[in-house]
Amino acid sequence: MFSLTSKQLDLAVGDLRDGVCSWRLSQYLAWQDIKQRYRRSTLGPIWLTLSFGMQILTMGYLSAALFGNSVAKSVPHVCAGMLFWSLITQIINDGAVLYVSSSRYIVQIKSPLTLFLMQVIWRNVIVAAHNATIYVLIAAIFVVIPGPGILLWLPGLVLVLICVSWLALVAAVVSTRYRDIPLMIQNILTLLFWLTPLMYFPEQLGRHRFIVDYNPFTHMIALLREPLLGGVPTLNDWLVVFAITVFGWIGTFVFFARFRSRIVYWL
Amino acid sequence: MLSLVGKDIHVQFPIYDHRSRSLKYSLGLGQIAKGINLLANRTLKVGGQIGMSEAGKVVIKALDGISFEIYEGDHVGLLGHNGSGKTTLLRTLAGIYEPISGTIHANGRVFPLFDLELGMDQDATGIENIWMRGKMLGLSAQEIKNALDDIAEFTELGDYLQMPTRTYSTGMMLRLAFAISTAITPEILVLDEMVGAGDAAFLARANARLKDFLSRTGILVLASHSVPMLRQWCNKGMLLERGKLIAVGPLEDVVARYEEITPN
Repeated sequence: MFSLTSKQLDLAVGDLRDGVCSWRLSQYLAWQDIKQRYRRSTLGPIWLTLSFGMQILTMGYLSAALFGNSVAKSVPHVCAGMLFWSLITQIINDGAVLYVSSSRYIVQIKSPLTLFLMQVIWRNVIVAAHNATIYVLIAAIFVVIPGPGILLWLPGLVLVLICVSWLALVAAVVSTRYRDIPLMIQNILTLLFWLTPLMYFPEQLGRHRFIVDYNPFTHMIALLREPLLGGVPTLNDWLVVFAITVFGWIGTFVFFARFRSRIVYWL
Repeated sequence: MLSLVGKDIHVQFPIYDHRSRSLKYSLGLGQIAKGINLLANRTLKVGGQIGMSEAGKVVIKALDGISFEIYEGDHVGLLGHNGSGKTTLLRTLAGIYEPISGTIHANGRVFPLFDLELGMDQDATGIENIWMRGKMLGLSAQEIKNALDDIAEFTELGDYLQMPTRTYSTGMMLRLAFAISTAITPEILVLDEMVGAGDAAFLARANARLKDFLSRTGILVLASHSVPMLRQWCNKGMLLERGKLIAVGPLEDVVARYEEITPN
């Protein structure tokens, strides 16, 4: 039932290499996506930033009110957390509909399938960069100064993006074959939103803290959020995300190599 | 030397409906429906190749043991009735469908041209669309820059190139798409049924441009129902019927065979 030839592996390596190497094209396509979405609107992509800003203010205020945190502590916490949470989950959600929505291109032009994955990652990084302006504003208002941990922020971001990209790729392949999967993924991510310390702090869970500790997304968020807030992610955060990335990609690669050539037939 | 060689190519399409595409079907409920094989009486065959589902799966044998050798200078007209596998073969040549068995080897870069307007955006200007389409075609920034004047001159769109293409008429849009797609120099060109629209003056100019475009092409595979069109552009022919290649050779021989099997 599951057989994998060395030719399939070679082709998958080639696909991955070509997809990553044509980063100029995927970046261009990502910008076009964003331009297309906001063409003929006056404020354009600023709408992204505005809606994110409003969401953060509401959530930050609620977090302070519900969980008894000070506004100065909770608003930057919520803002940084949500910035990266939307980045991560949107890449996975977009990944799930990746090949179905790009099917017009896939059946007409021979292009590496990982090119479209790169496009999704770029697009969401661009969106996150827009949203980041809100964080800068909030950090300035509440005088949040990043600690020395900031030096490892960029490597953390790269690691998390690599990690999320395998999740998105698996979601993309499985969803092309089984059209229920994107809806399932959406549901799971909505559930995980509550199980990730975004609106609250992990300490506040007391003896229930294990529910966030066993959630991989907690660690991904920590890698990206803590340095901004002046803290340092724990070694545990690093190890968990690193392990998920390495083992996840090994499994994903075998899976991708096996089913890559079938994807176009499932469209 | 450019070449395109295929050996015993098989391409099959699994048939999925809304049931088999959803999870519960694979999880077992679909077994109940297994007995109902709606399509079994046609040219279809029950089989399982990909191993996602153990249930009997209906497949269409779109290409059934196709072999051919095409070399530089061959301009091949691909003939066949609807559903004979022309488009599937073109896409297989382009590397979009990987055959389930058999091999295809292209010596040279294969360039598929199916939908002239692929990647074009109604709300973007003509110039932006040239860039977008050019990138989709795999052209470098320099190549696109070089082609800009040529495209502007051919399309005669002038200031319209600065306008969103939703303001264009169908003919203007076609002109633009056609001009961009023919700005390249392909090694191996795979072309599906060319569109013929626009006013007479444009058609004459388009023909001249097409002639120039195809003369730069090393290998051409062109699928069409129109024998006169194939006579104009091709020197060889291939005839497909129900996924099998039933005639290969000089165009006139293949056309004769095509007309034999075409009911009047």
